Amino acid sequence: MSGVGLLFFVLRRLVVLAILLVLISFVTFSLLYISPGNLIDILLGARPHTPATVRALTNEYHLNKPFMVQYWLWAQQAGQLKFGTSITTSLPVTSEIGARLGLTLYLGIYSFVLTMVFGVGLGVASALRRGSFIDRGLTGGVMLGLSTPAFVASVALLYVFAIQVHWFPAYGVGAGFFDEFWHLTLPSVALAVTTVAYVVRHTRAAMIGTLDQDYVIFARARGLSSRRVLYVYLLRNALIPVITISGVILSSLIVGVVLVEVAFSLPGLGSLLVTAATAKDIPVLQGVVLLFAVVIVVANLLADVVYMLVDPRIRVGGRSA
Amino acid sequence: MIPEPRPPVAPEAALGPVLDVERLDVERLRIERIRPDRRDTIVSAVDLALGPGETIGIVGESGSGKSMTARAIMGLLPATMRATGQVRYRDRNLLGLTEREWQATRGGEIGLILQDPFTMLNPVLTCGKIIGESLLKTPRRSRDARREEVLRRLAEVGIRDPSVADRYPFQLSGGMRQRVGIAAALARDPRVLLADEPTTALDVTTQREVLALIKGIQAARGMSMVLITHDLRVAFAVCDRVYVLYAGSLVEVASSAALDAEPLHPYTLGLLLSEPSAERRTGALVTIPGSVPAPDDVAGSCTFAPRCRWAADACTEKSPPLAEIEPGRLSACVRVSEIRAEMGALRQRVEEESSSGASSPAAATRLIQVDDARKIFKNGRRTVTALDGVSIEVGEHESVGIVGESGSGKTTLARILVGLEKATSGRIAIDGIPASDWASLSARDQRKLRSTIQIVFQDPYSSLNPMRSIGSILREAIALGEPTIKDRNAEVGSLLTSVGLPPDYAERKPVALSGGERQRVAIARVLAAKPRILVCDEPVSALDMSVQAQILNLLIKLRSERGLGYIFITHDLSIVRQVTERLYVMQGGRVVESGPTDEVLSNPSDPYTAELLKSVPRPEPEWLATAQ
Amino acid sequence: MTANTVLVLADERPETTRRGRRRVVAPLIWLSFLIVAGVLVMAALGTLLAPQNPAAQHLATINASPSGAHWLGTDALGRDVFSRVIAGARTAFFGPLIIAAASFVLGNLLGLFAGYRGGLADAIIMRWVDFMWALPALVILVVVAGAVGSSYWLAVVVLIVLTVPFDTRVIRGATLEQMPRPYVEAVKTLGVPRWKIMLFHIWPNVSPIAVANTCLVFAGSLVTLAGLEFLGLGVPPGTPDWGLMLSQNEALLFTNPLATIAPGVMIVLTAISMNLIGDWLYEQLTSRGAGR
Repeated sequence: MSGVGLLFFVLRRLVVLAILLVLISFVTFSLLYISPGNLIDILLGARPHTPATVRALTNEYHLNKPFMVQYWLWAQQAGQLKFGTSITTSLPVTSEIGARLGLTLYLGIYSFVLTMVFGVGLGVASALRRGSFIDRGLTGGVMLGLSTPAFVASVALLYVFAIQVHWFPAYGVGAGFFDEFWHLTLPSVALAVTTVAYVVRHTRAAMIGTLDQDYVIFARARGLSSRRVLYVYLLRNALIPVITISGVILSSLIVGVVLVEVAFSLPGLGSLLVTAATAKDIPVLQGVVLLFAVVIVVANLLADVVYMLVDPRIRVGGRSA
Repeated sequence: MIPEPRPPVAPEAALGPVLDVERLDVERLRIERIRPDRRDTIVSAVDLALGPGETIGIVGESGSGKSMTARAIMGLLPATMRATGQVRYRDRNLLGLTEREWQATRGGEIGLILQDPFTMLNPVLTCGKIIGESLLKTPRRSRDARREEVLRRLAEVGIRDPSVADRYPFQLSGGMRQRVGIAAALARDPRVLLADEPTTALDVTTQREVLALIKGIQAARGMSMVLITHDLRVAFAVCDRVYVLYAGSLVEVASSAALDAEPLHPYTLGLLLSEPSAERRTGALVTIPGSVPAPDDVAGSCTFAPRCRWAADACTEKSPPLAEIEPGRLSACVRVSEIRAEMGALRQRVEEESSSGASSPAAATRLIQVDDARKIFKNGRRTVTALDGVSIEVGEHESVGIVGESGSGKTTLARILVGLEKATSGRIAIDGIPASDWASLSARDQRKLRSTIQIVFQDPYSSLNPMRSIGSILREAIALGEPTIKDRNAEVGSLLTSVGLPPDYAERKPVALSGGERQRVAIARVLAAKPRILVCDEPVSALDMSVQAQILNLLIKLRSERGLGYIFITHDLSIVRQVTERLYVMQGGRVVESGPTDEVLSNPSDPYTAELLKSVPRPEPEWLATAQ
Repeated sequence: MTANTVLVLADERPETTRRGRRRVVAPLIWLSFLIVAGVLVMAALGTLLAPQNPAAQHLATINASPSGAHWLGTDALGRDVFSRVIAGARTAFFGPLIIAAASFVLGNLLGLFAGYRGGLADAIIMRWVDFMWALPALVILVVVAGAVGSSYWLAVVVLIVLTVPFDTRVIRGATLEQMPRPYVEAVKTLGVPRWKIMLFHIWPNVSPIAVANTCLVFAGSLVTLAGLEFLGLGVPPGTPDWGLMLSQNEALLFTNPLATIAPGVMIVLTAISMNLIGDWLYEQLTSRGAGR
């Protein structure tokens, strides 16, 4: 598949993704309607129920128009990143999201980096020293990591590192890049516990599978340096399966972000989602959900593209006899 | 699809001779698999002597430990295995080298070629890169110089098309991949070459070419070589001296000529005799009963004793040493001087015996008629024509062979005949019932077809459901084939006996049976349906040589007992000679030749058939010479 | 691969020649079974086992450290933490049990069907699976709770819907691995009906993965549901539940840390035990020959 072929591949996927996003947006929009209770009451929230407010609400949300028209109008607005106003705070949803986006992004990226560095590193080390003390310890650690959800890890880390030993601050976000880094370390580690475990497990299995391959033996038989064998033979082939679980990793990170932000009282998108859900603030819910959906969908596309670039069997196509 | 190159060029294309070839001596090599709770012996004691420029062969079946021996010499044993003993090369014991020190020896002094070209090459690198990375770092080369060197090496292995260097392994055929592998293995100009079954995974016609290529390069470069193979005839054609390995120990060592003239160990004799000849049809094939044991199970006695017809008490008392019977000939048989004459007599009798051909009933009714069958597979955008207008016919009680290599369509044809695929076009009639699409027939017709034709598959290790006992597998087959039988257990017992297995095997699970035993069960399973004709798709290719003959004899016996007909699908002309009366030769989805087996094999009219015949290994060096 | 490769690669020894070995069940596995059994008992008997009423508030002794009367201390409303932990096993166990059972049945049926039939049915099922199998379950639960209202059993139903695609994917993969094997083709040629092949031939070889996977699903659902409780969007406040307790007692980290650590430990212990059991079951079933 040449450059043109690659382009077609991406375009085809984009079309599928666009359809997916439309579907998701439709479901998201419908959230308002599946809520039990009077629609007006929900939208009013804590505000008084007067004819004036009802009329204002009806106009704002086009409640007297047919369902599909409402959806279309909403979708148009959504396309321009206007999601209406929050029921609880009366602030525009977009600005609410915008205020918190930075923190969640920081947290997410920090955790992702931790996940990849430790996940791949430990997985490779574990595979290369199969059966050793390190390996068995890591396997146990992986089990523990997979079974420890982010909120339990958060509380445990808080207890040990913030309260018992005072190494890290317990709450707050901090000001400035490095202070923020300091404050977000515990939450990021708590988030990364499960994802590191996933990546270690997969990397280790992939590495062990690759170690036994004939082409690795043949490479060593030709006297190639250990470094070349490690990088070009082992890592490159072993990392390909890891790309396939990138969807799970992302999901895990998103779930973790929500839990960790609540556990550490961080004002991010995750805690916004939860407070909106508790208060039934539908417009905010819609905005955040759509944002998450776009992130997931785009990330999956990226993963597919990377996978295609890395494995020539898919890129060049065709099979021999 | 890049076409195979023509037969390899004369040694002029080979690079110049390597200098300074030294001896490689292996002494008392012992390989064990270490597990937390126990140790298994893989190789109990092997001594090899390889002089400069010599070619030696290590011959053995699966479980003999031959592959691990090669790996041990290279220091490439799996992490769970340990080797002890001495591998002396250039005054050092290679077994004591660190990984760092190994890097100078591997590739540069001793090279290794592996057996499976489909897994040997890194799938994410182009062929050019694979050879390029194998070249020595000094002298430093510019990119162009390196490419030139890569192309030179490709030419040495018979690949003249420079675009191959830019292709990925999966874009090449097996034969091409193996050539690339050879070029990569030789990139550092090693003095000694270990070739571990280098042609086993290739098509028969390609095998001869690649073997000739390797031999040619070896001669031109003056390397010493160790060839590992399971085929004695190949060893005789290629090697000066042969080491016969059985269940982890050496049983005989001799020069090729001497070994071929007179084997001095019952196992070697058995191996020689169980390889059917493509030249003549013999009577019943000589078999070695039983199957290859694990080395630990026969420790402390002659490894071959449990299966040897001349075994006596002396053989099981202790492990017999390799003794020099004659100058240059070693044998581990303690009784060799006593039984030598008998062994010779047996061989003579078998070789002189020649059957006139199986009793083929005259003008049998036609059971299977295939007219112009075509099968096209669509895989996404690619279409593959597996069958391109094939017509065959098989009469009742006949044994017909279908011979071809991979891609010939023979397996597709077999699968269509038993209803696993449907023909894209063409007429197929089995016992008068139109059978090109089984799904479109009535249930009654389908039942009738099933009791007419059945199939035995190639791989005994996965043709039985691992979760079920033998008895339950057979009972199910009986329930479907002969629902009227009330006492199923008794029938199971009788089926097992008819394939030569004890009835109490019904309790066991397939995992407890050897390959040969599993294949017998598979045969028993289809017999339960009481078919009139049996399609055998390479039924013995996955089995050890010593076991193959057992199954073939069983099939021949069943035929004469039950009047079965066979459609025998194989690539092996020697098998076809022994088992069939008529023959179809297929290539590229077509029948290129057909006729009575003896005639076709003695006087082939199609060049492809002649090529196939030439590819059957013959135990003389001339066999390879004609490939060049 | 030509025929000869199969010969060379078939370097197997029949099992009967190996010396017999008794399988020793590692003490770790015994412990795991013990823990799961313990949780099951707690879930089933709940308040009968608890030394005190989990809802009773002892307002005189709030935030107390562990003592003779209260083995794990009390929480902010003076309730006995130990009793609440025992009572909390109920919501931790039964929801995941139902989820695991339902997705086992549905996932296996769909996966077998998709793998065996192939074609259009398989393509449709795979589209759906591809879309759904890696979705962030907790986020979806939060959104549903936000739109419709917090409810434990609603969450269970939603989780079933979200887990079935995952199971289907795993089983379909395992089925596809078995399909090309000659033993499947052999029984086809013998005339065994399709449904029998799927259930009695293929599925037994797929069962190790199915069983191991179900244990994973149990552990995963436990953790996800607990997460939902932690966020306050599952069971009603006041219910003894490990996730909810963790969140409510987080403020007590300075005075009675056990109040929040104990439920956390229970969650991790139960999840890890199920994971270990799942792995062990897989080993056991494959060593008996399945799927080789």
